[in-house]
Amino acid sequence: MAVVLKLDGVSKSFARVEKNDITNALENINLEMHSGEFISLVGTSGCGKSTMLRLIAGLITPTTGTLTVNGEKIEGPATSRGMMFQQHTLFPWLTVEKNIAFADTMAGKNKEQASVDEVNRMLKVIGLENFRVDYPAQLSGGMQQRVALARSLICKPEILLLDEPLGALDSFTRMNMQDEILNLWKENKQLVIMVTHDVDEAIYMGTKVLVMEPHPGRINNIIDIDLEYPRNRASSKFVEYRRQILDLLHFGQKED
Amino acid sequence: MFQMLNEKERNEKGLLREDAKSLRKLTREQLAELEEREKTPREKMMDLIITVLPAVVLAISLLEYTIMPDVNPNPMRHIYTVVLAIVFVAYTAAFILGKIKESKGDKKLIRSLRYRAPLYAAIAAILTLYDILTIKTNYFTYPLVPCVNSIMYAAWTDRAELLRCASHTLVLMFKGYGLGVVLGLITGITCGYSRKVNYWIDPILKFMGPIPISTWIPIIAVLSPSLSGGALFIIVVGVWTAVTNASRAGVANVDKAYFDAAKILGASERQLIFKVAIPAAMPNIMAGMTQGMMTACTAIMVAEMMGVKGGLGWYITWVKSWALYNNMFASLFIICLIFTIVTKILNMVKNRVLRWQIGVTK
Repeated sequence: MAVVLKLDGVSKSFARVEKNDITNALENINLEMHSGEFISLVGTSGCGKSTMLRLIAGLITPTTGTLTVNGEKIEGPATSRGMMFQQHTLFPWLTVEKNIAFADTMAGKNKEQASVDEVNRMLKVIGLENFRVDYPAQLSGGMQQRVALARSLICKPEILLLDEPLGALDSFTRMNMQDEILNLWKENKQLVIMVTHDVDEAIYMGTKVLVMEPHPGRINNIIDIDLEYPRNRASSKFVEYRRQILDLLHFGQKED
Repeated sequence: MFQMLNEKERNEKGLLREDAKSLRKLTREQLAELEEREKTPREKMMDLIITVLPAVVLAISLLEYTIMPDVNPNPMRHIYTVVLAIVFVAYTAAFILGKIKESKGDKKLIRSLRYRAPLYAAIAAILTLYDILTIKTNYFTYPLVPCVNSIMYAAWTDRAELLRCASHTLVLMFKGYGLGVVLGLITGITCGYSRKVNYWIDPILKFMGPIPISTWIPIIAVLSPSLSGGALFIIVVGVWTAVTNASRAGVANVDKAYFDAAKILGASERQLIFKVAIPAAMPNIMAGMTQGMMTACTAIMVAEMMGVKGGLGWYITWVKSWALYNNMFASLFIICLIFTIVTKILNMVKNRVLRWQIGVTK
């Protein structure tokens, strides 16, 4: 099903711990995103990227403004909006397969054949069939993130939120995972919103790159990436996009 | 010239086929064995000597007990002989079985014996020394410090009463511990989860927590007509405090990220408690339960020795007043045995529940 995610004048402020005032994490965000899009969010730290994802996930409520999916207001988390974090957050007391089946367990349908089949399929997709009864601590970082990805995909979310999902991985695992995520996205055509610190990753994966600015967090620019998948990191257009985005992030001046 | 062998070539040379392929199907023990350093002949010899040592010491002990004359009265003196002989035969049988299995490639039993042997040998040596110092030389004055055989004799002759007392103690312990754990888990988990509940429970914990168990006894004696009800109360209080404190801290310190992840996967409030908070707090909860068991053991002995008319604690004070020191030591050993077994069972439960922690913590 096609979905439209709308952010209408969304602001979010947090109370500070030490002083009696607030930080404005996001200010007046207006956005519209559709199924089939892959949005990369880039920006220096403190520009509200993660806050935006958490708002969309429904983990926190906006200070002002509204977020809607197909016209329906977001109130609290829902399984139609999956999320993956930088730290894998797999439950260490559950085995790999039970972690993947967690959403089904919550819905009380983990014993059903359909759920068992789906978990098996997921294990196959992420290539960890031999590790189904291992605990997360026994896996490598890349494997853990793959399990976390499978876990968030099991309820077939229409919107997939990725909060620096590959930030903790080494560069080889990272490039592999980028392709794996892209394949899954092409297959399912969800709306994916990914926070990243890596400009190359943002361009390589996104249909659009959203550049944000801090203090207060706001959108600086939205760049459509007009390149065919799979993308070539060394092509001149790719390099041009990188230069443009780094400029927007104020990292470009030194070149001249 | 440096050249890598490709898989096919290695196959032809038999390298991959023999080594790598069999590697893929190793069991955990075979793996440990394979990675272990080869032992020198000297070390192997030491291993053998150490593993045989308990049998040797037991044999010496047996000879010492049967051959040396007793200086004090020692009725039914062969109870100890029989027990020693049974232990000796059992250990020797285990050793022979271990050696047979080892020759067939199964080193599990012999390794386990090798690991335990020093301790067993030391225990046997201490028993021998103790026997010489008591019944054989009267270095420790008779009858204040009885020999092992007298203790066993006393336990055997008074077995009906001891059994009755032991079951009394066990019943009281299970009631008190069970109730304390259940109540402690309920309050601890709700306190960890809800600030409102914590607001009311925290002062009670702060007030009750520091009071030593024995302080309650006079109060109970005044307030409660039957001391067994009072005993139950102090055990429950002790266990409850330990379990509440530990599970509250456990639940309150669960990483918020787990809750976020679970919420996104559709967990309800109730599921957040039962499927996330409790399993995540399990290491703390188990620590609290172990702590609670120690408190329960202390509390039950204090209660039984200070007023409850029954149980092993009462038995000890009672036989002491009749100067039956053999019986006193007998009940002491039974108390030790019961507490050891109970703690062991709890530990097994803990290892089972916290299996996922292997590799997470040391």
